[in-house]
Amino acid sequence: MSSIVLEARDIRYRYPRGEEAIKGISFHFRRGEKIALVGPNGAGKSTLLQMFNGMIRPDAGTMLFDNRPMEYDRESLRELRRKVGFVLQNPDRQIIAPTVYQDVAFGPTNLGYPEAEVKEAVTTALRHAGLAGFERRPPHQLSGGEKKRVAIAGVLAMDPEVLVFDEPTSGLDPSGSEDLMELLDELNHEGKTVVISTHDVELAYPWADRVILLADGQIIKEDVPDVAFGNPAYVRMAHLSVPTLLELSVELAKRGFAIPDRKPRSVLDMVRIIESQPHGPCCHPEAGTITVCNVDAADHPAIAAWLKARPGTAVGAMGTRAKQCAAAEQLALEFTYGVIDKCILRALRGKASLILTAGSMEVRILDRVAAYERESGIAVTVEKFGEHRD
Amino acid sequence: MFEELLEDVAQRNGLRETSTWVKLAAGFSAIVLCLLATGYVAPLIIAAILAGAILLLARIDPRTYAELFLLPLWFALLSAAVIILISGGAHVLWSWDPLPFLHLSITRESINTGFFVLCRVIGGMSALLFIALTIPMTDLFAVMRRCRMPDVVIDLSMIIYRTIFFLLDQVRQIHQAQVMRLGYSGWKESVHTFAMLCGAAFIASWDAGDDLVRAMDARCYDGKFALLGESRPAGARSLAALSLFLIAGSAVVIATQGITLLPVA
Repeated sequence: MSSIVLEARDIRYRYPRGEEAIKGISFHFRRGEKIALVGPNGAGKSTLLQMFNGMIRPDAGTMLFDNRPMEYDRESLRELRRKVGFVLQNPDRQIIAPTVYQDVAFGPTNLGYPEAEVKEAVTTALRHAGLAGFERRPPHQLSGGEKKRVAIAGVLAMDPEVLVFDEPTSGLDPSGSEDLMELLDELNHEGKTVVISTHDVELAYPWADRVILLADGQIIKEDVPDVAFGNPAYVRMAHLSVPTLLELSVELAKRGFAIPDRKPRSVLDMVRIIESQPHGPCCHPEAGTITVCNVDAADHPAIAAWLKARPGTAVGAMGTRAKQCAAAEQLALEFTYGVIDKCILRALRGKASLILTAGSMEVRILDRVAAYERESGIAVTVEKFGEHRD
Repeated sequence: MFEELLEDVAQRNGLRETSTWVKLAAGFSAIVLCLLATGYVAPLIIAAILAGAILLLARIDPRTYAELFLLPLWFALLSAAVIILISGGAHVLWSWDPLPFLHLSITRESINTGFFVLCRVIGGMSALLFIALTIPMTDLFAVMRRCRMPDVVIDLSMIIYRTIFFLLDQVRQIHQAQVMRLGYSGWKESVHTFAMLCGAAFIASWDAGDDLVRAMDARCYDGKFALLGESRPAGARSLAALSLFLIAGSAVVIATQGITLLPVA
């Protein structure tokens, strides 16, 4: 496993004239992990998160970054905050400047980058967050989801190693939440460690590599999601609920279904469990193909033509750039979130689909399908757009 | 937010992409031309040109523009009326001395002066509205920087700009909550509720300030704030339009000098 990036050793914290919010917590995060801190309101999630970038200094115990104890002098804090990007729950409180460009440039400017570099960092961050073209908009005219993206771009412009999100999806509509979680996945795929705090178990369960259940300033359980959420006693202690998929798999197991060791974390996993039952799979004898199209590389008008030649192909888009491309080309999108799983499900029914994507996400699709093939033994063909013309 | 703020209108105006300097030059030169004019015709023509630019080029909704224009126009009309009554002159049309020290009269000269002032106000107002409706505040920050304004002033005004909308939203929400719970049902209640609104707004702004400091700290604040986005160079077309406006305006000012509403022999 990769190296430890952030670690806490028996930390405690009491608010001035207040209650003890953190009561002796130890944990560590590895590089490239996706961590969810899950707990009810008032469990100390936000307090704990603020220790990751030195906004709060624990009363006792040690926080370590890169295996070195955090220091709280001005210079060290600056360095720490560059490496640990923090996105607040309320983007209104995080956005400082009067225009999107100026806000995203805030961090790089204060880090003393020369102007050309600032410009480059801002352009990259905005593109990443799907905000290209928003440079001169004032933040108060943006929607909640867009504001959130501005806040994220502001942090990304400093190119941090660890990204900390306090309640990332609060105040967003369901499709906005899905978009945001996809962005977090994309960032994680680029090697960033992503930590979120949430009380939404349905959100944390399929997303996280590891879950830390927190209640009343203490860690109740720290484990992979199906174990952490699988024990009703822990879940009850943390004032949470068992994720629906997990509950369903427990009920199916009681009815004699064979549940694999790795518990189902998506509808796709669940379908496989149900289809692997004695009545036999109801999938199509020959799986459909999934075509992956990188919108950065592909010729956009060709996509529409390609689709026209193949009626019945469903289109899904992953990431903002892909969605923008689909909107520009007026392609009707069938899937806008959970795209890979939905396309595999479709392929199992013998139907074809096209996934529009951008940048490094292409690799992720191949990885995900390969993992599915390995686990299920069903072959799903993935083609790259433009490479396999018939 | 559902209602349109002046700033929102400016953010979306059709001349947004035109260089800020050209627009500022047009606005200020229009004011100067109105002040230099000695006849009432020139300010009216300048006002008409600017109104045309606002409505046709900047594509501002005519109703919004009319609303913005009418409000100060009432004040201007009132002032013109006072000028007409008290400035006096040789060709008296009507006069009245209600008190020993107060002489009210309407004369040919006073009507000319009053009308001239009114026209100047209309011209100046069009120029100010042109600036306000075509240059959003965010573009003015760049101008302030170029004009060598101290950084502290610019940084502060940028923070104020950002927080105003946030606080406005908060105040509106608190106000709504108060209205929903009948906070303004009577005079006494209104005073009490308004006091609570002020208190809550104060606490909200205090909180926002606290958060601002924290947010800036979390993003490595090191005393640098104002970094400005790209500036748009003045295009040939906009420069040509500006020069045309200046030449035509000056010509009108010279050609119509001394023209009065009523002939004075």
